[in-house]
Amino acid sequence: MSLAYEPGTTFVHRLDPRSKLAAQIAFAVTAFAHTTPRGLAVLTGLTLAVLRAARLPAGRALWEIRFLVVLVAVPAAIEGLVLGPPWVSIADLRGPALASYRVVLIVLVSAAYVRTTPIRDSEAAIRWMVPGKPGRLASVGVALVVRFLPVLRADLAAIRRAMAARLGTERPLVDRIRIVAVGGLSRAFGRADRLALAMNARCFSWNPTLPVLRFSRVDIPAFCLAAGLLVWAAL
Amino acid sequence: MRPATPASGTSGTGGTSGPERAEGSTGPRESTEAIAVSTETSGVDLVGDEVARNLARAALFAALTGAFAYVSFPNPLSPAPITLQVLGVFLAGILLGPAWGGASMALYLLAGAVGVPVFAGGAAGIGVLVGTTAGYLWSYPIAAALIGALVHGGSELRDPGEAGSIRLVGAMVAGVAVIYGLGVLGIALVNDVGLVAAFLAGAAAFVPAEAFKIAAAVGIVRSDRFAAS
Repeated sequence: MSLAYEPGTTFVHRLDPRSKLAAQIAFAVTAFAHTTPRGLAVLTGLTLAVLRAARLPAGRALWEIRFLVVLVAVPAAIEGLVLGPPWVSIADLRGPALASYRVVLIVLVSAAYVRTTPIRDSEAAIRWMVPGKPGRLASVGVALVVRFLPVLRADLAAIRRAMAARLGTERPLVDRIRIVAVGGLSRAFGRADRLALAMNARCFSWNPTLPVLRFSRVDIPAFCLAAGLLVWAAL
Repeated sequence: MRPATPASGTSGTGGTSGPERAEGSTGPRESTEAIAVSTETSGVDLVGDEVARNLARAALFAALTGAFAYVSFPNPLSPAPITLQVLGVFLAGILLGPAWGGASMALYLLAGAVGVPVFAGGAAGIGVLVGTTAGYLWSYPIAAALIGALVHGGSELRDPGEAGSIRLVGAMVAGVAVIYGLGVLGIALVNDVGLVAAFLAGAAAFVPAEAFKIAAAVGIVRSDRFAAS
């Protein structure tokens, strides 16, 4: 999935990350509370509106989450399967199909969040939500994961290329897994220890300065949406 | 902006929080100013060496588990390819111990939730955490902590290379049981299907491959290329 933050000037980009998180959670709660054809029809409209507001074409978003769509569809397909003609039981399929469709909607809405929210803003939101030292560790940890994921992916790819060049691909599966993992681990641990030294050298502290989060007038509709959805979910 | 502030304190280590500084200044860009420069350093509360080291390792391990999601091998037993994510969970528990191993996997979930593409297939977002694979994902911190506790025999860290093979394999089998148990339960709840269909869709094709990962993990822990500390 190449769905990642892209800078933009849409309404959704300008929202405070906390209101976007609230709206997402409210959406998920509502989707679980109203897994009916009518409820899901309303939520489908809402999903399309959110994707449109985030300038994320629905087709592209679906293509980006295609792997998840397959995963979502398989259990429902198995549940609907009947041994013997007519092979498919519509009655058995109905509940799982609705439940699976609701998952696709929830994932699409969170794709809009991923697309419109820089990770730095999410970090500040984590820091706001989780107070004290655990929040500090969590926000720094997420920042490090963001920075090191591409580096470690490149490490693993380099190890696999080196292995293939030495005919390592002919080895038994367990050996191949072990070689890739040992190489990846030793590089990751090496990087982690150098990083810890560098963080200490730069006065890694419990109380840093993060961007100041401010609610603005554009957040009002997002909050109204979250509140409305939660009220509907509770009904 | 920068020139408006006296250049005396440029340490930038951030002693005070944003809003406090913002109140003191008058310009319309007070928030930018508060971020750029801070003149106080007395309030800095440094993180200890041990915590910084463990945090760096936990974060790198979370990133490695995410990177493992992109590494797939053809599976000799079933058409579903083998990815190494679960190996990351095993190793987090074995090498980092129950507390930091669990914390590392919690960081992995948090990073995925805020949009880092670490979940299977490069997915991310809160939606995935309540989706079809939710049960597996939420089980990772639990499984890592359990494996860590079983291998280290409590919260005190020992050299995992000295743990017996039976203990290592037993801990990982318990981890697999937790991951697939919660995973199948998650599918049954989220997709509203029976446990049999959930097992067929979510576990039957994948569980046999876990044997390869367990065997590889034992080899990794015994490997002399890195003495885990």
